Parts: sequence; structure tokens; C-alpha cells
Amino acid sequence: MAQSEFEIDLGNLMAFDLHRQFPSTFSSREELVKEAIEQGTKLVQAVADALFNKPSTEELDGPIVKLPAPTTKLPREKPLPKPRPPTKWELFAQKKGIDKHKKDKLAFDEQTGTWKRRHGYDRVNDDKDIPIIEAKMTDEPGTDPFAERRKEKKSRVEKQEKNRLLNLKQAAKVGALPSHVQLAATALPITGTQARPQKVGKTELQNVAGMASTATASGGKFDKKLPGEKPPKHEKKYRKFLPAVEGSGMGALEKQQTEKVLNKLISKNSHDVLNVEKAVNMYNVKKEKKRRNNEGKPSTRSKLKPNKKSLKKTSKRVSSSKGKQAQQYEILYTKFCPLRPPLPSLLSSASFYIEGRREGTKRAEKRRKGDIFLEKFKF
Amino acid sequence: MRPLDEKETTLVFDKLHKFVGNNLQKIVMENPSHEGPDLNPGRYCFRLQKNRVYYVSESLVKRATNIKREKLVSMGTQIGKFTKSDKFHLTIQGLNLLAASAKHKVWLKPTSEMSFLYGNRVLKGGVGRITENILVNDGVVVYSMADVPLGFGVAAKSTQDCRKMDPNGIVVHHLADIGEYLRMEDEL
Repeated sequence: MAQSEFEIDLGNLMAFDLHRQFPSTFSSREELVKEAIEQGTKLVQAVADALFNKPSTEELDGPIVKLPAPTTKLPREKPLPKPRPPTKWELFAQKKGIDKHKKDKLAFDEQTGTWKRRHGYDRVNDDKDIPIIEAKMTDEPGTDPFAERRKEKKSRVEKQEKNRLLNLKQAAKVGALPSHVQLAATALPITGTQARPQKVGKTELQNVAGMASTATASGGKFDKKLPGEKPPKHEKKYRKFLPAVEGSGMGALEKQQTEKVLNKLISKNSHDVLNVEKAVNMYNVKKEKKRRNNEGKPSTRSKLKPNKKSLKKTSKRVSSSKGKQAQQYEILYTKFCPLRPPLPSLLSSASFYIEGRREGTKRAEKRRKGDIFLEKFKF
Repeated sequence: MRPLDEKETTLVFDKLHKFVGNNLQKIVMENPSHEGPDLNPGRYCFRLQKNRVYYVSESLVKRATNIKREKLVSMGTQIGKFTKSDKFHLTIQGLNLLAASAKHKVWLKPTSEMSFLYGNRVLKGGVGRITENILVNDGVVVYSMADVPLGFGVAAKSTQDCRKMDPNGIVVHHLADIGEYLRMEDEL
């Protein structure tokens, strides 16, 4: 568009309007928003135009365009790294005026007369390749010169390592640790954050060590202890019981517990507070005895039933049908209202003699009928 | 000596409930004790000593705490034992407690008393009387015809099935009898 030139940065998918003019005052927020959207759409259109003008390759998902490198520079996320302070050797070299020279990879080996590499496998001045060491006057007899050489090399390596660490400490003091060391040292805070490294206290460490030791197979009992480490603490008791005697005898806690258990038990079994079978059986037995009395046979009552029962029976005989109905109602009533307490006279002494059966008699017939009646009530 | 755990209490009460039914409430909570020299001996409670469960009055419990745990042999009435796999079995010493509040009873004929006391089961031919509405696996207390408690057991059949059985059928499985006082003197 001739009017406005847009600077388009395809690498970041951005477009700038260099000559943007915005009227400073707007009557309302909606108008401002509308204007902004209008300008924005123009810019987006320009980006899209530029994108589609690029040569595209056909892929499975559609045409793909390779974006050029971004031209706008984005600001840094993290601050610039601080320059590293010079190491001890660097300071010494500066003072003395020693320059660094690059070393070649290959060096001439005097012994074999060939060019060998400087470092690594089959290198120039390897300790292994020395066959003979001549003895000097200062050597003691009994010392191994090869071992001496090895020891010296080891000490040199250690000294170097020590120096390296000291240099790193110097750099860390300033805050210029190299980033890979910074990340590896988890105790140090990441550059840029304010967090101070916190020291773990002695008791905390002890507790944590105790907890960690319980993760072993034997619960930490046989772990080798460091010098000064105390054995992990635990309570002597592993199970807690109610006190044997509280106050005088049973305590409140124990009472509570027994009550709870008892109530659970009773509520579980409360549905057979009234045994309907028993009630029906009682009714049948009574009926049998009535029939027997009617037939004139001597009533073989259970000895446990009191005598006044017979009086009741005679009265019932008079209004027998009504009595039967009443009894039936009684049974039904008790069946559906289980909270009514069972009649003690019936239940406590309900038992009957098992006598020799004579299957042909009327009594046996009645009993069989009773059984059938009972079957109906079984649940 | 220690009081029973909650799990242990449920086990014990379950077993007792089979024999005693809802009279359990009376036994556990409200029974005034007659043991001990105190003026009010208090009630009864259950204590565990070396896997045996004792039914002791509170006054005795207080005194028993003066004895070392290793030296305490027994206190009150032993009603049962816990097995190695934490199951509860009633023993014969609890017979008086059970007999006093039993719900299901069986009376034996004189001929089969001795058989039961030797540890055999109760056959139908030996049963003189039996209470009504016994269901299978109910706890049953066995009496002689003179109302002397002889032992207890588990019902093998309900009362109705009992009537229809042949005379050699098992009615009550034997759990404990007073003959054990002679036979298994060491193991009690």
C-alpha cells in the first residue's frame, strides 16, 4: 500500500507501521478500540501477504514456508554474565609477560623417532614407555623410581585440582561462575535470584537420617553409623492399650468401648427380637391342647405352665371363634410391631416333650398340619 | 493383664451372644458382683492375661494390679482363650456364667449323660427336652434331667429338623463339658 509502509519481520511474524498517526484524543473507548482493530487488521494482512508470497513446499499437512531469520533484536532475558576474574596463573603470566602459544597436536618423540600425538593414546612422553631409569647418587637403595614418578605425577594432579577449585571460588565470590558449574552446584543460588543458601540444622539432619534409614529392609537397625551419629529414636511401645485399672475398676474409656461394641451387636441381631415362628408354634400348641381337652383326653401340659392357664382356656372356649380371631390378631400385631415386648410367660417356658410318635393318630395329623402352617411362616 | 482391644471385645461378645442372646447386656454392663471384700464390689469386666479372657469384678482387678505380670496366673472366672491366630474359644470354666443366662438349652436323658461327659456329641436319641426356635449354629447349653449344667455346644440342627430326624442324628456338637476338669486338667 502506497500510503503506509510496513516494516515486516517475517522471522518473528511481525509488522511495524512506521508512519503511524494516532489522533491523540478519542471521544470514547469503543472508538479507540475500533481504530486500533482497523490498524491492526491492515498490519496482519501485510504479514499474511508476505507469507504467501514466499515459495512454499508441499508437505502432508499442507504448504510449508521456511521463515527467514528475525531482524528485530529482542531484549535479553537474563543479565549479562560478569567477566571472570583472572586465575592465579593468568595473574602470574601477566606479571612475567608470558604469552600463550598454541601447541601442535603432533610432537616428535625422541625415543621412537616418530611423530606421536601430544595427548591421549600412544602419546609423546608417556610414563609407561620409559624402560630404564638410571640411578642417581642421591637415590636410596630400596626405593622404586617408577613408583616415585607415579607419586609425583599424582601430587602434581592434585595440586592442579586444588588450584582450579580456588580459582572457581574466587570467581564465585564475584558472582562470575561459569554456567555449567553454577547449574551443577545445587547448593548455590541461580544467578539473578535472591535466594540465600540455607544450612540444614543438626536435629533436622538427624531426624531426616532416621526417617531415611527406615526405608531399608531391616528398618535401619543394622546400618553402619557414622562417628557421632546417634541411633534413631522410637517409642518403646508399639501398640497402645486402654489402662488396666482406671479409678476403681472399669474406666470411662473402657465403658465406652464395651457399650459401643454391645450396641453394634444388639442392633445387628435386633430383627429377631420377636420370633414369628415361635409365636405361631405357640398358637398351634395351644390349639392342639384345646382339641385334646375337647376330646376328653388328659391334657399333658408342660409342668412349667402355671395352672391358671386352664381357666383362661375355658373362658376362651366359650367365645372360641372370637378368641381365635383375637389370637390371630395378637400374632399379627406382634409381628408388625416388633417393639412390643414378648409375653414372658410364653417365651420363657416354651418347650415340649418329644415323645414316641404314632404317626397314624389325630395328634400326629395336627402336628403335620402345624408343620405346614409353620412352613408358610418361615422366612 | 490388660483390658480387651476393640477387635477382641467384638470377638468375645459375638461368641457370648450366640449363647446368651440379649442377656449379654446384663452380663456385661449391669451385673452387680459378689466377689471381693469391698463394700461395693462394683461390676464385672473382662481382662486379658496371656491369651486367656477372665470375667473379674472391678475390686479384684484393682488388687490384681499389685501382682507382677509374669506371676499372675488367674483371676475371677476364666471364660475363654484366644488362639494363636486370634480366634476366641469359650472354655468350660465359663459354664456357670453361660448357664445362668442361656437362651437355648438341651436336656439329656440319663443314659446319654455319660457319653456327653466323655466328650462325644449329643445324638437325637439322647435328647430329653429341647427349647424351641433353636437355629443351626446357635450356642446351646447342655443340662442333665436334674437341671445340672453339663457343658455347652453348637446346635447342628434346628429344633424343627430335630423332630424329623432319625434317632442317631447329631443334635449338638460338643464344645466343652465338665468332664474336661478330669480329662484335660493340664490344659485348662
